[in-house]
This record gives sequence, structure tokens and C-alpha cells, in this order.
Amino acid sequence: MSEAIIGRVVATERKPNTPHEFHFWTALDAPVGIGTIVRVETARPVGGLLPRIYGVVTEGFGYTDLQTPLHDVLGADGEPGASALAPTERTEIRLYTAAVLRHVPEEPLQPVPMGTVHLATEADVQVALRMDTYATGDTRRGIPVGLYRAGGTEAAIHLDADFLLGPEAAHLSISGVSGLATKTSAVEWLLASIFAHFPASKGKVAAVCFNVKGPDLCFLDQPASALSDEDRAIYATLGVPAVPFANVRYFAPWSAKGGQLATLRSNDALQENVQPLTWGLKETLQYAEVLLNRDDIDAKADALIDFIKERVVDQTFTDGVLERAHEVRSFSDLEQWFRELLRGLEARNADVWRTHHVATIRKVRNRLSNISTRCKGLVTDDGSVSDLPFKAFEDRAVYVVDVANLEEDAQDLVFARVVSQLREHLEKRQLGVEQVVVFVDELNKYAPADGPDTYVRKMLLDIAERGRYLGLVLFGAQQFRSQVHRRVVGNSGTSLYGRMDPDELATPGYQTLAPATKARLATLEKGQLMVRHPHFGQPIFVRFPRPAVLTGREGVERFPQAEELTIEQSVAKALRRLDPAITLGWVQDQLMLAGDDDDGVLRARNRTLQARPDDVKAFFKAQLKKRATPEVAGRRGPAPLRVAPPDDPYG
Amino acid sequence: MRDALRALRDGGLGAGARGAPLEVQPKGDQPPRLERATPLEGTSIQVRAVPGEPVVGFRAFLDGIQRSQVLAHAGGVPIVHGAVAAAIRVREARRMHTWGAPRIDQALYAPHALLEAALLETLLGRVRVVDTLRADGRSPADDPDAVPGARHPQELVARALTAVQRAREAAESALAADWVASGDGPLLVDGGTSASAEAARSAQVIGVVKSHRTLYADEAALPLLLGLREGERTTAMTLSSPRRHAVASWYLRLRDPASRSPLFGLVRVEAALVDDITSRADVVSRWLLAERAPVSLPDQRWDVMVYGIRECEQYLTAILK
Repeated sequence: MSEAIIGRVVATERKPNTPHEFHFWTALDAPVGIGTIVRVETARPVGGLLPRIYGVVTEGFGYTDLQTPLHDVLGADGEPGASALAPTERTEIRLYTAAVLRHVPEEPLQPVPMGTVHLATEADVQVALRMDTYATGDTRRGIPVGLYRAGGTEAAIHLDADFLLGPEAAHLSISGVSGLATKTSAVEWLLASIFAHFPASKGKVAAVCFNVKGPDLCFLDQPASALSDEDRAIYATLGVPAVPFANVRYFAPWSAKGGQLATLRSNDALQENVQPLTWGLKETLQYAEVLLNRDDIDAKADALIDFIKERVVDQTFTDGVLERAHEVRSFSDLEQWFRELLRGLEARNADVWRTHHVATIRKVRNRLSNISTRCKGLVTDDGSVSDLPFKAFEDRAVYVVDVANLEEDAQDLVFARVVSQLREHLEKRQLGVEQVVVFVDELNKYAPADGPDTYVRKMLLDIAERGRYLGLVLFGAQQFRSQVHRRVVGNSGTSLYGRMDPDELATPGYQTLAPATKARLATLEKGQLMVRHPHFGQPIFVRFPRPAVLTGREGVERFPQAEELTIEQSVAKALRRLDPAITLGWVQDQLMLAGDDDDGVLRARNRTLQARPDDVKAFFKAQLKKRATPEVAGRRGPAPLRVAPPDDPYG
Repeated sequence: MRDALRALRDGGLGAGARGAPLEVQPKGDQPPRLERATPLEGTSIQVRAVPGEPVVGFRAFLDGIQRSQVLAHAGGVPIVHGAVAAAIRVREARRMHTWGAPRIDQALYAPHALLEAALLETLLGRVRVVDTLRADGRSPADDPDAVPGARHPQELVARALTAVQRAREAAESALAADWVASGDGPLLVDGGTSASAEAARSAQVIGVVKSHRTLYADEAALPLLLGLREGERTTAMTLSSPRRHAVASWYLRLRDPASRSPLFGLVRVEAALVDDITSRADVVSRWLLAERAPVSLPDQRWDVMVYGIRECEQYLTAILK
């Protein structure tokens, strides 16, 4: 326990102490600043016990015995340099305001008494932040978030896993200006810390990270170029291995041309754990609401879409209007179904089919059929699916879904479906892990405070409010916390703040912070965070190490993006992962023999990748042959002209 | 004061009779006067510009404060509580620190002979009671200030105030003597040094008198003295009185009075008598001119009070509860 007295508590009628705030003065050279944790001791017992109060400095004042600046001007004869030559420095005070973190004992809760002020030791920090209740002992569940440093004291700051990942509270919100490596770095560091410290007794944990811009999360399995000794020391102190993530899997849709995956992690050396993310009709139609414009799709269209989802897709469908039985399993199947249905209605001169007006049918056909165009690369016409391994999530694994190169609609679709699948599998306890952290950057875009009530926003609100019971935990990052829906940030049990924009700090959400705390927030260095956590009575400033993974910027320099491939090269590269014996020449021969178009070749490739057959060459050739065979049943002649009834007076 | 109040209560006196501080009450001071002094430089008082630039020379500053107020009246006799404190503040790296321990003294001040014996016994059993009829240790018969038989309450209060002032001066003198014995470097004392034999003789102690109810100048020298310009001093003179020790003294104008009072920025310096008083007076004057900054505003005496003394006074105010 620190015995050195660094200050004394003072209180005046104009500036009284309260149970939650007190004032103290220090020597001018005392190692105290905004964010320093201090301990107050008094010699006057209360109820037979000597109270001990812990607080964190939130404001500082310094002044001299000058009554007005004019006096200094007079004394210096108007020459600023003359003051520095004065033989005596004016009496100066350092007066600090501290917010109470904890009273020991907790009752009776009284104003902070006069007493001596000491710098908090490591043990004091544990008590002050109530970490003694969860970060020590056999049932410890502390997750290191950073290192508190002040006045020579270094203390590990732990978050309570029960309040970070549930079930007591959950979710994390991290805010900070862009470009200071705060948000992404902090999340990468915290995930590493979670993986290192999440108690095995609480089950398995995995993370799903959406890479929404650039190469931010593309190299989580690669070691950092150079960690400083200071960073390594923090890793050692906090008990987190300074190594990249051991188990990372990447998922990215195909590029629009289909030649390669739409990700900046396209270097040949890193393809081992990169998989396509492609969905067919069934997967997409389930979340059609995400992609359809609410202005276009009314209740009538909704009814038809529901009918198609329930009665048409993935089953044999027959109807008197149709010329044959249809099994709609892909967008191309659906297009054929629509085409035949409309042709049949025209042939019968019917305006309504099963209560659905022909105009509604045409509108829904138009909206649904362009989904595969709008989400090209993600949504396949042929129904081939390559998805995250729901039901087989692995402990301490990171699943990165790279949507950085997708259009906004497609990003929404990916986000909605992945999170919904996670939720469904967690509900059934079939995901493979008990806890999943979902990291979403730019949360203000997906769950904005203002704007339309989109499917994605509703889903995020649902996670924020009920996810902790399922083990579905949202780690959301945003530049401006004030622009994120208040129910999302309000349900975040833990909040991290990097350097903040002063304009953002002027918004009402930060009114509870002292001006000095805001000033510090506006000038935080890289690697510094302000932490709010349910156990901490006040925000705490911590330092965290640089993530032990390669940054996106360094990653794209070290692993340059692969050049755009020809279709033969793309197929050869993809199939070689299944069968290293496959050569570019063999692929060129097969494509020449098949004479198929590009879509057909890519379809064959996707089906092969999806099936992962033992004999890759034979399977691929069979797929090419399949496409080469004309689909007679699907080819119809032009629709006959409508014939007027014999009794039609206008015929 | 709490002990004193308790003692008075135990003595059967009401404790609600506190009055305003005596220092703020109107005083019956003697009228301003001129007094002759013997020139030390030349045969008459002259004006001399202090040569050279101001230079920092003082290492420490000594000041004392006092507080007194009537706590009770016993049969019309005022019983005064007096508290005095004195301290030396040393300047190191432009910052001030207390040298040794401050001297603090608190007592009741009352004329013993005029109090009932039982009350006096009760008070003496609890607190120190200074006899204001023997405040300086002399019996009333030996004290020319004493007025035997005087029972006017205001007269008794005035005697108590004088006794408190002497207590303060005694504390200051004792500290000055301590500095002479073990201090290091020039000490600036707020007020004269001639009351203390050690201070008056020591080359380390310089006194600065800020009030001028007595001006040491004859009518011929007075216009010279009042006409001093900033950075000018009078030639030194020697002051002597039966109750004070001989010292060298001169007037120094710290600040330009412009159209203000002719006493604005005027101080009288006291220093030990030395052979080369001209050089000594010039050096000490340069030290004092260097202390003009920082100014002691908002103190009303800022024109003549150096900051080290003000800082010392603030320190004493803070510790004298």
C-alpha cells in the first residue's frame, strides 16, 4: 500500500465534497493527472471502521494568488518576459476533483471526509474497480482490457466476462475517430485477450468479424511486422500471448466477373483458409426483405413472395397454368417459373392467379430476378452454396466475412443472413460454440439513430436487447457514437473510447464527462482507451498493446493482391486446392472441349468446390458436360398469338 | 481560542461577547511627526541614485501577524484573546519554503490586578493569561506607558493590543535571532530591526519599514525625501533611541509615485552599521529594487510590500487558526 502522501482532501462551502465527488490539493510536482486513481485515508472512524475511499481524477485546477491578470501585467510593466525574471514565483496551487469509484465500507455512504490522499497501488486499483470480486481467485473470469498507468503504478485492468459476453450484461461499443488505429486495433487486441482468458468452464467462444472496408481484418493470422518492447511487456503483464490468431477462416464472395474472390486477401500464399461465400435462391429469398425497396413492395407483393417461399421453392410445384412441374432451386429456375406462369396467364387471358394480380406477379418477378444481378458474386443463379460452417464453429476461431467489395444491398444481405443464422443456431445450441462475438464496424451505418427502420437495424436492436441470453454478443465500432441507435449503445455493457472528435464530445451523450476528461479524450494517443464497464464506478483510462497481427496496410504491401485471372487460370487455381495435380493446361483442354460459356464454366467450378469430390477432375468434367447438354425441356418456342374467341365481335 | 473560551465559561463568564478584531477598530495613534536623524553619509541628507541594475540578493523573508479580540468582560474589564505567529520563508529555486518551525503563541490578555482572584485562578489553571499591566515584564510603577488605576475599558483594550503587538515583535525578534545564529544568507524582515540586538547588529538582517507616521528628516531634508524618484535613495543616517538599538537607515523609492501620494512606493530600510555604509546601502537597495516583481496586489500595501513578505503573511494567515 502506498504510504506516501501526495495530497490532502479539502472542502469548502462553495466546493463541498459529496459521496460521489471530492477535491484535494497536491504539490506542484505530484504525479497526478486526469485519470489517476487515488486512495483517501482518514483517521476518523465511522461505525468503528476507518473509511477508505477510492477515486479517479476527473478535473484539475491550477491558480495563483493573483486576483486579476492585470496585476501580473502591472508587475511586469507590460513586458511578458519580465515575469520570468521575478525572483520569486507566485504561490501556486494544484487542486483536483476526483469522482468516487468506491467507498470501503460501502455503508454508510457519506461525503468524502478530510484525509490524506495517496496514489493507488496495484492492489488499490483492484479494489477501487471491484476487480477483486471477479479477477482473482478460483472463479476468476477477468478479461484484460489494458494497463492502467499513473504515477509509477501499473495495474492490469480486467473486464468481467459475465458482463462483457453475458449473461449478466453484454456487448461492447467502441468509438473513436478514424485513422488512429483505435477501433479495429482495440477489437483485435480484445479478441486475443478473450481467447486467452475466457474461462473454459463457460464454454467455447468464437468470433465473426465483418470486414466492411479495405484490408482491415484481412491478415489476422499473420504476425505483426514489429512489436515494440513496450508492447511485448504489456502482453506479458496481461498474460496474453503476443501471437496472431491461430485459427482464422476467411469468407468472401466472388468478384462480379467471377474469376476470383472479391477480397484484398487474394495473394496465392494466403489462400489456404479463404473460402467463397455464395448463396442460392433459398438462402437469399429468406432475407428478400433486406434487398427489396419498401416503396416498391407492398402487402400484395409480400403475399406473393411469401407464397413463393412457402409453396414454390425447394419442392415440386404444379399448376394448371404451368405446362410442366417445376422444381425451383435457383434464380434461373425461378425465372423459368415466372416466365412460364406469365405465359400461361397470357394464354388464358387471365389477370389474376391464385388471388395475385398479374401486375403484382410481373413486379415481383422484376424485383427478385435482379437480385442475382445486384448481388453478383454473392448470389448465384444456379443455387450453389458456400457458407460459413454453421453447426461446426470451432473454439477460439475467428471467421472473417469480407464484404468490403460488395454493394451496400449485398452487404446488408450478408450481415442479415449471417447474424440470423448465428442466432438460430445458438438458440438450438447447434453452432458448435456457446458464445459468438460479432464484430461490426461502421455501426452507425447499420443501426443509425435516425433513418428508416430497416431489417438490419431491427435485427441489431434485437441482438442488443436479447442476444446476451443466447451468447450472441455484439462488438460494434463507430466513429460517432451519437449517430448509433440509442438502444444499441444503451445496451452495450462495456464501452471503449479512443480519441474522439470534439464535435462528437459536445453532443448530449457525453454530458456526464468532466471537461478535463473530454479534453483528454480529444487528445488520446494511439493505444490509449477510456473504458466504461458496469463494475467501474467511473471511466478509466488504459493503455493497450498494438495487436500482434499484421495491419491491413502492411498486409497488402507484404502480400500484394493477385492479378485478375483469366477464367482458365481462375478455375485451375480454385481446383488446385482440391487436387494439386490439376494444371492450367488440363483446365484449358477441358474448357476447349466443352465449349461452354463463362457462366457455365464458373458454375461447374462452384459446384465442384461445393461438393469437394474425391475425384475432382471427373466431377468437374461431368459438370461441364452437364452444362453442355441442351436443356430441351426448358426451351420453348415463341408464345402463340392470342386467338380471338369465335364470338368476339372485335376479333 | 477554543480553550480560552472554555476557560472563560468555566470562570462563569458568558462566551458570546466576542467583538470585532481590534486591528480593524479605530486606533488612537499618535499624530504623524518629523524626527531628526544623524547623517552617516556626509553631513546632511542627500538624494542618491542607486547605481547598477537590480539584483536578487535576499534569501529569506520574515514576517509576523497577530489577531486579537475581546472574548469577555469581567466586571467591566475586557479579557482579550491574542494570537501571534511569525515565520521565515526561505527562497529556493524561486519557490518559498518555511525555514524551521513557525512561532505561534496564543494567550489571554488581561490586567491581573483588576480581575477577581477566583476568576484569575480559574483562567490561569486552564490557559496562559498575560498581565497587560506588566506586558513587557515590568511592573506598572516602572512602566512609563502604564497608567495606574486606569480602568477605562478602551484603555485596557489598548493595553492588551499593545501587549499582543509586543508578543508578535518578540516572536519576530526571536526568529531573527535564530536566523542570525544558524541561517544562511540575507534575511529581509518586515519592519524595523532596531528592536532586536541580534538583528540590529547582524549584516545578514535587513529591515524594511512600510509605514511612515514618523519621518526621519528635518524640514530641509523633507522635500528631498518626498521628491525621491523611482530607484533613488536618501543618504544613510543613523537612528538611535533609548529603547532601540542603533542601526543605519535610509529611504528608498521602489516605485514611481507619479501623481499619487508622496509616500507611494517609499520604504525605509534598516541595516546594521558598517564602515562602508554607501556601498552597503547601494547593494541592499539594488536587492530591494529586484523584489518589486511580482507585485503584491491585491494587498493594499502593494507599492511598498515585497512579494516574499506577502507570501509569508499568507502562510501565517493560513496556519494561525
